[in-house]
Amino acid sequence: MTPFERLARTPIAALEFANTLLTVPDAEIGTTPREAVWTHRNTTLWRYRSSNRQYAVPVLLVFALINRPDIFDLRAGNSFVEFLLEEGYDVFLLDWGVFDESDSDIGLDYFVCDEIPSAIRETLRASGQDEVSVLGWCIGGTLSLMHCGLYPDTPVRNLLLLTTPVDTSGSLYFNWTARDSFDVDHVADVYGSVPGRQIDWANKLMKPVTNYWTTYRRVWQQIYEGDFKPDAYQAMAKWVADNPPFPGQAYREWITFMYKENRLVRDRMRIRGKRVDLGNVDQNVLVVTAGADHIAPREGTLPLLDMIGSEDVTHFDRPGGHIGLMAGSRARREIWPDLAEWLGERSDR
Amino acid sequence: MADKPNTDGAPAPTPEQEVRRLYEEAESRVAKATERAVSRDSFGELLAMVTENAVAVTRIGNEAMDLVLRNLRLAGRQDINRLTRALGRTEDKLEQVLQEVERLRDDLDDDASANGTSSRRASGSGSSRSGSGSGSGGTTRRRATRRSSSS
Repeated sequence: MTPFERLARTPIAALEFANTLLTVPDAEIGTTPREAVWTHRNTTLWRYRSSNRQYAVPVLLVFALINRPDIFDLRAGNSFVEFLLEEGYDVFLLDWGVFDESDSDIGLDYFVCDEIPSAIRETLRASGQDEVSVLGWCIGGTLSLMHCGLYPDTPVRNLLLLTTPVDTSGSLYFNWTARDSFDVDHVADVYGSVPGRQIDWANKLMKPVTNYWTTYRRVWQQIYEGDFKPDAYQAMAKWVADNPPFPGQAYREWITFMYKENRLVRDRMRIRGKRVDLGNVDQNVLVVTAGADHIAPREGTLPLLDMIGSEDVTHFDRPGGHIGLMAGSRARREIWPDLAEWLGERSDR
Repeated sequence: MADKPNTDGAPAPTPEQEVRRLYEEAESRVAKATERAVSRDSFGELLAMVTENAVAVTRIGNEAMDLVLRNLRLAGRQDINRLTRALGRTEDKLEQVLQEVERLRDDLDDDASANGTSSRRASGSGSSRSGSGSGSGGTTRRRATRRSSSS
């Protein structure tokens, strides 16, 4: 590029940059056709039907309480749901919905003892099967794990846990929230449901320069050099910006049980008075960790491998971060096929 | 500009490329430094203090607004939350009743199919039918979806 071309390119790139950022809300995400199988309060169980069904055991996807589960079906051509459908699975997605202040009394027990069992039940009824594979991501993984630890008879055949926090000590969140000066009761009481923007702000603060500067600088650079892919960026940016509130009681319990008291790894987690015994987890278990995960570091997940009672335990350690593990072209190339292969060996044809 | 080759044979970087490399290196160092800073105990303390103060300000604002609404005899946030929670509890109970009804219906279906099988067996209609009858019962339950909508 000559200096003149560079000069002429700058205002054009600036316009495109502004246009890209301003039209992020218009990006289409979660476009794979689906139908609602069951609803209860805010929760919806979605079903994605495969036209190429090869496996009998359906897959139930359980996402975290932070952000929306659209990351499983980000955009056509880069959707985990689409990938599973192509592989021949019947896919169900447990969508927690968007909580508000009136849901402040919802605790972790609501998810572990009410919604996940009901979703499993409805998945089995809708698919006509006796067993289900549950794939939980982040907090969704921990909730699924607690469910299996609490209900030894649950009809879960395969349990896939992606970047799931178990032992939180040593994580950055632990450093921020486990200290006495962080009064989680005060936060939960006043907010009712903790605003999603505040949680997003805290998440981004873990890598401030990367999240608040480098991302935008790279977008500018790619636009300037003419190799920018707006669809990929906007879909991800829209998902990242969509932060539903975290129900107050669940937030209080999550921070207290998992960070301040680190109960799960100490074998002291109790839900509705019943101890969560990870020794009861006898499903086929796949644990996936990400080497550069700063939200649920690998070291915080690995103790799980020695705590569960399952005889079939597999651990995949992959490069990438908390989100990059399951979203992006690299995930499609390097991680999803491994998940599908593991699952395929344990799902009836 | 990139004419003079390096010792390894690769073309020498242009001044622009060199500036960019230096910038990215600096940015990377700053990023790592900030990540170290936010992982310090003192930052954790600061964050806890900021959070506590932000929450306190929110509380003052919420309580002032609620007081205004209450004095105007208008339904406030807390009243609406109370109603929504009551609705939620009702939905919970309905869901329990619905699941129980479905369970009973399935049990009835199982009983009906078992009785049909045994009566057929008693009337000597063959064991192959009884085999198919038990196969359709058991714990596998098929049904049409209860609420269905597309998105």
